[in-house]
Amino acid sequence: MSLAPTTRLEGSALAGVIGQAVRSGAARLAGLFAFPIGDQIFLRAVLAWPDRMEVIEAALPPGARSYPAVTAQVPAASWYEREIHDLVGIEPLGHPELDPLVLPLHRPREAGEIRIPVTWEEVELDDRALAVRARGEGLLTIPYGPVRSGVYEAIEYLLETPGEDIPHVRTRVYHKHRGIQARFEGLSIEDGVLLGERVEGVASVAHALAFCQAVEQLAQVVLPAPAALVRLLHAELERVANHLDSVVHHTEGAGQAVAYTRMTLHKERVLRLQAQLCGHRFARGVVVPGGVSGALRISPAQALGLLAQLEHGIRADANLLMATPSFLDRLRGTGVIKPALAAAHGALGPVGRASGSTEDARCTRPYGAYLDLLSLDLPASRDEGDALARQYVRLAEIGTSLGLARGALELLAGMDNAQFRVRVPKADGLALGWAEAPQGEILYLVEIEDGRVARAKPRSASFHNLALFPSAFGTDIFTDFVFIEASFGLSVAGAST
Amino acid sequence: MRAELLLAGLVVWFVGAAIDLTLGASSRRVRPIPYLAGLLGSACVLAAAIQMVGGHPVNVDLGSLLGVGRTSLRLDGLAGLFLTLTSGLGIGISACMVTWVRQGPTAQGPTAQGPRVHGHGLGAGYMLLLGAVTVIIVAGDAFTFLFAWESLTVAFYVLSGVRRSSVGQARASWVTLCFSKSSGACLTFAFLLLAGNVGSFTIASWHAVPHGVLHAASYALIVAGFGAKVGLVPLQVWMPRGYPAATGPMRAAMAGLAVNVGFYGLWRMLGVLGSPPTWLIALVLLLGGLTALLGVVFAAVQSDLNRVIAFSSVENGGIIMVGYGVAMVGMALGQPSLLAVGLLAATLQAVAHAVAKSCLFVAVANVEADRGGSSFSEVVGAAHSHPWSSATLAAGALTLAGLPPTIGFVSEWFILEALMQQFRVHGLALRLSMAGGGALVALSAGVAALVFVRLLAFAVLGQPPPNGALPRRGDRGASGRTGLLLLGSGCLWLAAAAPWCIRYIAAGLGPIVPTAVVDQALKSPWVLQPVFGGFSILSPTWLFVVIPVGMVTVALAAVGLSRTRVLRVRRVPAWHSATAGVAGPDSYGAYAYANVLRHVLANVLGSRREVVVVKGGLPAEGIPGPTHVEYQATAVEPIEAYIYRPGRVVALWAARWARRLQSGRLDAYIAYMLVALVALLAAVVALG
Amino acid sequence: MPWITRGLSEGVVTTRYPARPDDYGELWRGAVSLVEQRRGPAVPDQVESDGTSSAADLAALCPTGAIGTTKARLHLDRGRCILCGRCVEARPDLFRFDPSPEVASIHRQGLVLGADVQEDEGALAQVRAELARRTRGLRRSVHIRHVDVGSDGSDEWEVKALGNPVYDIHRLGIFFTASPRHADILLATGVGSAGMVGPLRRTYESMPDPKVVIAAGTDATSGGLVHRTYATSGGIGDLLPVDVWVPGSPPSPFSLLHGILLALGLVTERGRSGNPEGGRAL
Repeated sequence: MSLAPTTRLEGSALAGVIGQAVRSGAARLAGLFAFPIGDQIFLRAVLAWPDRMEVIEAALPPGARSYPAVTAQVPAASWYEREIHDLVGIEPLGHPELDPLVLPLHRPREAGEIRIPVTWEEVELDDRALAVRARGEGLLTIPYGPVRSGVYEAIEYLLETPGEDIPHVRTRVYHKHRGIQARFEGLSIEDGVLLGERVEGVASVAHALAFCQAVEQLAQVVLPAPAALVRLLHAELERVANHLDSVVHHTEGAGQAVAYTRMTLHKERVLRLQAQLCGHRFARGVVVPGGVSGALRISPAQALGLLAQLEHGIRADANLLMATPSFLDRLRGTGVIKPALAAAHGALGPVGRASGSTEDARCTRPYGAYLDLLSLDLPASRDEGDALARQYVRLAEIGTSLGLARGALELLAGMDNAQFRVRVPKADGLALGWAEAPQGEILYLVEIEDGRVARAKPRSASFHNLALFPSAFGTDIFTDFVFIEASFGLSVAGAST
Repeated sequence: MRAELLLAGLVVWFVGAAIDLTLGASSRRVRPIPYLAGLLGSACVLAAAIQMVGGHPVNVDLGSLLGVGRTSLRLDGLAGLFLTLTSGLGIGISACMVTWVRQGPTAQGPTAQGPRVHGHGLGAGYMLLLGAVTVIIVAGDAFTFLFAWESLTVAFYVLSGVRRSSVGQARASWVTLCFSKSSGACLTFAFLLLAGNVGSFTIASWHAVPHGVLHAASYALIVAGFGAKVGLVPLQVWMPRGYPAATGPMRAAMAGLAVNVGFYGLWRMLGVLGSPPTWLIALVLLLGGLTALLGVVFAAVQSDLNRVIAFSSVENGGIIMVGYGVAMVGMALGQPSLLAVGLLAATLQAVAHAVAKSCLFVAVANVEADRGGSSFSEVVGAAHSHPWSSATLAAGALTLAGLPPTIGFVSEWFILEALMQQFRVHGLALRLSMAGGGALVALSAGVAALVFVRLLAFAVLGQPPPNGALPRRGDRGASGRTGLLLLGSGCLWLAAAAPWCIRYIAAGLGPIVPTAVVDQALKSPWVLQPVFGGFSILSPTWLFVVIPVGMVTVALAAVGLSRTRVLRVRRVPAWHSATAGVAGPDSYGAYAYANVLRHVLANVLGSRREVVVVKGGLPAEGIPGPTHVEYQATAVEPIEAYIYRPGRVVALWAARWARRLQSGRLDAYIAYMLVALVALLAAVVALG
Repeated sequence: MPWITRGLSEGVVTTRYPARPDDYGELWRGAVSLVEQRRGPAVPDQVESDGTSSAADLAALCPTGAIGTTKARLHLDRGRCILCGRCVEARPDLFRFDPSPEVASIHRQGLVLGADVQEDEGALAQVRAELARRTRGLRRSVHIRHVDVGSDGSDEWEVKALGNPVYDIHRLGIFFTASPRHADILLATGVGSAGMVGPLRRTYESMPDPKVVIAAGTDATSGGLVHRTYATSGGIGDLLPVDVWVPGSPPSPFSLLHGILLALGLVTERGRSGNPEGGRAL
């Protein structure tokens, strides 16, 4: 793993450079963030080339309050620039739609003020009725969320509908915005990992991994093999739990009561296996800079037994589920993301892979133990782009993940008195870390100064993919909504940070 | 005595028409006079009708009053039965009209200028309609009948064309006129064929026409002619245009009252011509079913209440035709019981439809006048401002939805029971047609429930528009309220008194089927059966006892068992969404409610949807920039798109071609007349 | 049909909790405890010659400030603890993991271990009686409305897990409901994000009286690690009157169940009310 090469240029040139790279078809835009440093704004974009990641840094002139929007050339930048506009207060000129996205708040800014807010008092709660965006006979707007039926994270979907059809969907994610980017500033590296685990709680391991890998990259630490294997084991179990969660929501939506209870049972067992292995159901506190916190709490042999039982149960139920026509009928042709759109947007994770993408950070840019344990079954890819394809991709990945976990446990069983952690020497600088979370690729742009986190910006796959969510509604109707949402399998916490 | 009463009614109406034509709507005092005349005349005719049902048939010879040979009136039970219905409705509608025309403009709406009715014509048109309907029903010969029929055509044209404020309305009245004229032409041709065969213009004499090509052809023409009046597919396209084009309660006069002459004609001819050809029966059953389905499906997706009600007329026309088809089967197979159950079911449905349709049109007209329009978005939550009209609207809607305890439930029960008797029929064609018609009717009955739930839920019980005090003038006036009460309560008491109604109908149907056979529909004084015994039973009267008692019992049980805890309710504000909401509409309206059906029946409706992203906002409509989305949905009426539109192209081409014959030379025209005469003679000789 | 046999294939997997203790709950870290529970261990102010750390050193161990001292006695606020285990690792002589998931309390101060709580026993009894009065009618059937007020997403998984066949709260007459109008308990997770202040208030106001609020998770109790940014408050307590506090990051399903049953007065707080065994049905 190498440091991401960084290119520096003028703020006004950013749109052109990114536009050219993306239009050439070789790179995709993986992220675009703004960091106020002093009285200057630094825009940092991440481009994913087939063989490497590139960070492009563009400094705006001191006091500048706008720059030419990247979105005008690369539509995938839209949500990133809205986030920048909300958080920092600079305006991407020529952006087609600058509605509030991550900051609800109608924030009274003093003229020329460009920075992330600091205190609770500084923001004003926006409690106005929302304007409609669609016109037509009998159209109405259904505000679905943030408090809606069932136990869900807070997100608001605005369905503009004439009844039954859903011609237009808008998403508001700001209800959960927690100011994570600002919270990272000044934390110690150890506390940074803990915060990373809480950015997107259902993908704690992947976030801790991405953060730690950025730090380890700066310090040029080589992990001991057992530590890398333990990390892989937990990351894969986390993937299984998340993919099962998606299946659970599908079965619940389709009214498959027995399948639903069976799948919740499997998910519970995965979480319990995590707890048996490390003492925490979400494997928090396992990944630390320089390795993992310690050895497994049960022997690899015992863990292999539990894993085999789990695998047997999941496989049988998944096979039966995918042979249940009343279930498949609800998913087939629902929520189609065409491969061309997915490629243009750079759709991540199972959403992208169900629409023809073959990107999986585990094999495209392997890290840790994936360098050794790389499975031939990866990446699982299909190109129908519907909810069923996403379901197939996830089920295939559950199989691969359980296989990878088994492989890691078998290797661990052969290691005695293993070392699980090395010291991480102090090293300052800017680094990019990544990991493949269940939702897709996670990026951490971490800047260390003086041994502490000066700035860090997590970019969850949920944020990137959620921008694509409204495009999944073609001919779909209300009853398809639950499947489209479940098949995206996103975490709102990750999307609203 | 009946002839005198009848004559008195006609004279009163004539006077009413004369007053309207001379004084017009010149002052507030004069304006109601034609409608008071309508009320009085209807009362006279009703009295005559009741005597006609009870007494023996009487022929009234008019001599050569019309100047076209001997003409006569035939006052028998069937005429009495239909006159009872039309004159009863005439009383209710006239009463509503009296109040309607007295009221001036309302504060809001497009009718704000001047009084609702001004100038001449409307009252006279109404008098003409009442008179024509009455004369059609009592006509004893072809001349009188056709004369009255054409008068009715004129009346329809006048009534649907009185408000010529928009292009659409003028067009609607033309379409109405075209279909009325075609229906008259079909009947004229059929009557000529029959009269030519028998040598007499007296309708009753045509029973002597031998079965054969001519009998079958004239039967088919008669079904087509009357079918156009009642909206049988594919002759229904004028209804959803013509009815809404008329003024206020006049729609009720057209759709509720005058439509019955179509049914009367069919009934009468069934008695006269006897057994119809098998293919015609199958056609009537299937077309009837199709009419019902198409009508109700289109009713379900309309955004304008008047169009909903007009399409529901098409549906009911179809259902009644299916019942009539069963009667035709009975007639063809010589099974009096089947004939009786079909005819009884169809008659009951015609009664239910007539009363309910009048309720709906009158009630909607009252609300519409105050709200300035008749779309669902305008007539919403009428119960809050117009309790009388809303109650009438609800009664009519429940009746047409076929729900107990209304007369609609009784009539639909009879229709379905009649169709279920198909196992008693021999012959695959008839059995299949009955089964097909039955399936279509059952399906449309299901959709009809949706249609009227929508009507009740939004138009009656919805949340009224929030803009301050709503005008409620349409609900005032003793006369109007009496009319509403008469019509609305009719939906209920006709069901409660169903056994008496059936006895009355049995007496009225005497000229077609023996009264004793129809009376078998009464299993016991309170219990009904579909004429055939041991099949199934119903007691609508008993429902009037059972339903209230059941509801009270359940309520008492709930209170008692919970020890009055059920009465202690924890109250909180309505839950919506946890946010401040959206600026536009955010709950289901009538359009969205129907959109499910638009989806499911996309193939029948030919509905298409399109979403377009448009640059720029619409600040005037509260949609900020920089882009907004336009949603467009369209529906195509299949009959119109696939039959009439291509037909019109052909007709226009033919007209262009025919214009070449217009040379302006006298000798050419004489030659055309000669050719036409020879052709007519040839046709008569060939068929004779 | 195959699903029927599949459903029956494993027999009963449901826990017997709260009627009987469940060992499964003890697989994972329930909470951090002080080695000397009732009164916290004495802590010197300065670094001793034998290497014992000072109060400031101990406080610095915790990323969320859950460790503190009053009158030279150590105390630990479980309401702030995110179970990272750093203190247990560094000072196993003072801190230990407690496997019991029964950590909920009806009193915010009740989450603070080592603090002197004798003085407010009377007030506590009053709070308990008042809560019992409100929930008396709900014990046999209670409806919960969950609201996410800025959680990290894992809390929702644990809340939702209550419905799986292992915990199956329906057997206890506990249901989740869609409309706040039908709800008796408001179960809030998350740090109290600014964007949810309005929605949370509206949800609370839409619930009929009597109503109970449960703050589920360390985030909801104190704001946890994300505590007080420009967009987050210090937990649900800043926004609503909270009746039951359930610490945990995220709270495990057993902890949540304990919290709900505690609100209904069906179980007691662990180690209180003369029931040192803790938990279990009354």
